[in-house]
Amino acid sequence: MALKVQPLQCTGCRICEFACNYHHDTTISPIGSSIMFYFEEKKNYYGLMVKRDKSLLLGRPEGEKVLLPGEQIEGAGASAKPILLRVACDLCKDEDNGPVCIQACPYGVLSVEGA
Amino acid sequence: METMNTYNGTILVVDLDAQTCTTEELSTDLIEQGLGGAGINLLLYEQYKDRNPLVLGSGLLTATFAPAACCGVMTAKSPVTGQIAHVPFGWQTGVEMKLTGFDFVVILGTSPKPVRLWLHDGLSDINDAADIWGKDVWASVDKIREAYGDEMVQTLIIGPAGENKQSLAQVCENYWGSKDKAGLGAVFGAKNLKAVAMRGLGSLEVAEGFFQKCMELKNEIVGGSIKGKAGLYDIGAALGIDATALEKMKTMIHRNNAAYNCPYPYYTFLKYNEPPAAMDMKGHAEPGCLVSDIAGFAALAATGSDPARAFERCCRFGLEPLGTAAALKKQGAGDVAQIDKLAGTGTAEGIPVWPVCVDQQQAIMAITKALSFAVPPRAPFSQDGGAQTWVARQAVAYLLGIDPVIMLLAPELTEEKLAALVALAADWDDFSADTLKKIANAVITKST
Repeated sequence: MALKVQPLQCTGCRICEFACNYHHDTTISPIGSSIMFYFEEKKNYYGLMVKRDKSLLLGRPEGEKVLLPGEQIEGAGASAKPILLRVACDLCKDEDNGPVCIQACPYGVLSVEGA
Repeated sequence: METMNTYNGTILVVDLDAQTCTTEELSTDLIEQGLGGAGINLLLYEQYKDRNPLVLGSGLLTATFAPAACCGVMTAKSPVTGQIAHVPFGWQTGVEMKLTGFDFVVILGTSPKPVRLWLHDGLSDINDAADIWGKDVWASVDKIREAYGDEMVQTLIIGPAGENKQSLAQVCENYWGSKDKAGLGAVFGAKNLKAVAMRGLGSLEVAEGFFQKCMELKNEIVGGSIKGKAGLYDIGAALGIDATALEKMKTMIHRNNAAYNCPYPYYTFLKYNEPPAAMDMKGHAEPGCLVSDIAGFAALAATGSDPARAFERCCRFGLEPLGTAAALKKQGAGDVAQIDKLAGTGTAEGIPVWPVCVDQQQAIMAITKALSFAVPPRAPFSQDGGAQTWVARQAVAYLLGIDPVIMLLAPELTEEKLAALVALAADWDDFSADTLKKIANAVITKST
């Protein structure tokens, strides 16, 4: 099972990022999340990245792409680089109501594939 | 009361005359009196009123999981009304300021030279702005992000109109317009303050059960009045904005964006330098413009100019679009190039008036001129409660840091539910909707 992103439904509200951080360390902050918003603001080019155990999920406006170790990050600028240092998504396995990012997103962007 | 779940506990005082930054503690007394946002801003404004203060304040719930808790509020004397004005700042800027570690920023006096204020990680610097003074907003934001090495730096910034102290000037949020209809761009310019740049990687504590309560309220909103609607277009259509302008907009819609934690995306990105459906990043470097002001867009269209390109010029020069359209109309000019000249000569003729809902706007202005008409004068998707209700609910949003447009769109955000979130977040057992309404009403009374 893994988190899935529908990038074009995303509006860039970033609540998934903050909810994920809350799951990991019980605070409101953008810095400790497994999911990360990246943004080329003047081009309005944005999407979400998810740090998985052995890969990165890149949810770009053009579509999803899974990056394996050693592959270059494409379609995400410098704002996305810190994702490599983040803790991997654990699908909120200890949360009663499932992944908090899915609970928090008002737009139905996120789901669990293989569930 | 437990303040660490809502605030960092710090007020920054920036003395531009002396070029110094000092901090003060955000006391529990101040929070009990003013709650936050416009409420505490007003108390700080009074405290420093002899120093021409410009106060930036976080709402009590800003940056929390409360739905639409994305805004801060700027408070200063408006060059448009001559009275105190409260202007919400949102997009990602309100959240960013709180996460820098500063809940409130009081900016006093006038800098002897152009400067920008740099807030980050609990630190504040007054930096020289000679490299961006005279540049337009887009070029300046690029330069600031390059200088601080981070493309997620958020800015409240002015263009040439603000530098020239024109009352038609608007404080911009990054590259785009804002809710500033009060000429606070000229206040920045008069202080020789080009920008407040912010990068916040701080954190706030979360009270037990708060996340779940916020999710319940968010789900109620998503399933309520806004269900099935999106973007500026739907708001405009519901309000009766000119169909020609709306259809023009429709041909350029790229994506609808939302500010932090907002359940309705009313920031609509228009692409006109490449096909709107283009989703990759390989195309035009500046493919279009983000628009959140439907009244301004429609008014620019009514001048005969290309409304999207005219809106972009307003953003670049830091001009308020609705007033700009009125000035263009007065000149009989529909030429986009005429907008550039207004950066040097743009005088606002009072608060800009919407092309629709005029009677209700007049009724609201008879109560107060202290709040922003970037927010439509009536609710587009639900039964409207009239001018008194508009003012009362907006004032609550300005205290708590709730996006004022979402406050209007979502009647599910009741004072009772918001008061319950405050009580839970701040561990403030006896806090009630009555207290919330009373403090909100006092803000209006004292600002008018």
